[in-house]
Amino acid sequence: METIKGGNGNLVDMNWDPITRIIGNLGVYTKIDFENRRVAECRTTSSLFRGYSVFLRGKDPRDAHFITSRICGICGDNHATCSVYAQNMAYGVNPPALSEWIVNLGEAAEFIFDHTIFQDNLVLVDFCEQMVKETNPGLLGKAEAAEAPNAALHGFKTIADIMRAYNPFEGKMYQEALRMGRVTREMCCLMEGRHVHPSTLYPGGVGTVASPQLFTDYLNRLLSVLDFVKRAVPMNDDLFNFFYEALPGYEEVGRRRIQLACWGSFQDPAVNDYRYQTMGTWGRAMFVTPGVVVDGKLVTNDLVDINLGLRILLGSSYYQDWQQEERFVTRDPLGNPVDHRHPWNQTTIPAPQKRNFEGGNYSWVMSPRWQDPATGEMFPLETGGGPLARLWSTALSGLVDTPYVKATGESIRISLPKSAELPEVVFEWKVPKWCNTIERDRARIYFIAYAAGMALYFIDQALGEIRQGRTRTFADFQVPEEAVGVGFHEAVRGVLSHHLVIRDKKIANYHPYPPTCWNASPTDSNGIAGPMEDAIVDTPIFEENGRDGFKGIDILRTVRSLDPCLPCGVHMYLGKGKVIEESHIPTLGLNGRMKR
Amino acid sequence: MKKHPTLVAGIRTGPAKVRKSQPTHIPGVRSGNAPGGYDNSPGHLPDGTSTARRSTGINAEKRDPILPEMPNLSPP
Repeated sequence: METIKGGNGNLVDMNWDPITRIIGNLGVYTKIDFENRRVAECRTTSSLFRGYSVFLRGKDPRDAHFITSRICGICGDNHATCSVYAQNMAYGVNPPALSEWIVNLGEAAEFIFDHTIFQDNLVLVDFCEQMVKETNPGLLGKAEAAEAPNAALHGFKTIADIMRAYNPFEGKMYQEALRMGRVTREMCCLMEGRHVHPSTLYPGGVGTVASPQLFTDYLNRLLSVLDFVKRAVPMNDDLFNFFYEALPGYEEVGRRRIQLACWGSFQDPAVNDYRYQTMGTWGRAMFVTPGVVVDGKLVTNDLVDINLGLRILLGSSYYQDWQQEERFVTRDPLGNPVDHRHPWNQTTIPAPQKRNFEGGNYSWVMSPRWQDPATGEMFPLETGGGPLARLWSTALSGLVDTPYVKATGESIRISLPKSAELPEVVFEWKVPKWCNTIERDRARIYFIAYAAGMALYFIDQALGEIRQGRTRTFADFQVPEEAVGVGFHEAVRGVLSHHLVIRDKKIANYHPYPPTCWNASPTDSNGIAGPMEDAIVDTPIFEENGRDGFKGIDILRTVRSLDPCLPCGVHMYLGKGKVIEESHIPTLGLNGRMKR
Repeated sequence: MKKHPTLVAGIRTGPAKVRKSQPTHIPGVRSGNAPGGYDNSPGHLPDGTSTARRSTGINAEKRDPILPEMPNLSPP
């Protein structure tokens, strides 16, 4: 175990490494000023080197989606889809419309699945009765007395009842969410053959046999999910609004300047031809509009601008610089110059070393940034855990207009039709005032409704194709000697891009950039902190426990609001050399806890 | 032959236990994606529609619709 430097003055070191209830390998190292009840310093670190960009070189590009799917055990299908998009561009193949609707349906099911289990089984544990009792007992008293404004919609009388519904293993919604996890995974399997690593997604189309029954099986499951969604959205609203009311100033927790990124999702086959030259047009036609949002304003929704502005910086990462290495793509297919720090030109040269938080390197994550072509300013964009950026960007662009989901320019209206138990419901997500912990979490539940609404639309479109007799789901292609391709998609927790360079029909360079590379990036060579570091620094502490019983719940809520995807166990260090190790045994429920 | 131990990114390593990975495709073997793949698939028609032959090789024509103006919704 690493020795952590003791507290400096009134600053106390509080460190969580690895953080639990997330996927991957993330450590958060903070200095907390208990006197002023705020976080003074923060560093995020990953101790895991993956090397996909290293071992993909020289492989057959047609294997890329099967290999990159294994990057993640929860959103592997997002990687496969994104890789297929990049390959389609490189091969110059345009898949039939029906295959696009099938991919969209599979991805919509994935969004509903992953957001549901993460929100209800992992994030809301931070807001459940048991956790609030341990961290803010005063708040639980208020929650017992506070009536839930939407009780008629979800059936829980008080806020404390909602909190009890999210108690792990025992709570009603916690258990219901687990059941939903199964149903939505079945939906994904229907379209993509398998979950999490699809077996029927290929460049040029899908291998799924598109019969009417395929879509009715999907629809049947989707309608049962709608009942769950119609209850979950008002429950989340009631709970999060209560935190704002009962803890004045809670909006400052995890708050940072609005710098959001969304790379778009759900292709529209009527517009999309997978050509780089027309990427701006078909990007805007996507059913989740891509965009960069800074200070609440849309900077661009053009995927070409987004692509050319990508910069991979070092500064605190365990890699050697690649400025002396080969430059694979000097100009994009439109003739625009491509920077040496762009993913197409990146060469990964790992340089393992000791972790050094004092001016040295401390993470295996690089620092992706986006440079505004107009001002040259470099932004440490975050995804807001995925949904916040997606909804924000889509709302501001105001381009999505379907019978179930409509972007208005300042909000998104989601109409969910009558389902098994509940009547038609209209939800409206309004652009929030802040980019903070609560709004990232709130957006997630709204995006489940969004994805469910879009899935209904995709089924209509797919069945329309089938009724016309157009059942073609794949197109032929040849692998070119040389080509470049890029795929832009949304992994569940935010932006996802795959950059591909082909030479001699083999992969010459391949760089996937998943969302947590952006969110958990360390401080870059310009001294700009990564989004998670930035969100945690200056976060006020509302937890009622003092230093000895400190859980760091406000910090952990902030970390989990970004849905980090970097494996598990808890090691918690308290300053001055005192170490507490705590391990949780899930099968023993809330009391399954050992202290050593 | 490389001498061992070798240094990879500053880390001392032993001999490789696997052969260097090769592209999976062997030249001369037909690829599923190769042009003509769709045309050679039975039951898939040039206009993007399909017949029951797409799903079965046994009495496929008996599973097609009974009238020509009906859509051919081939079985899974």
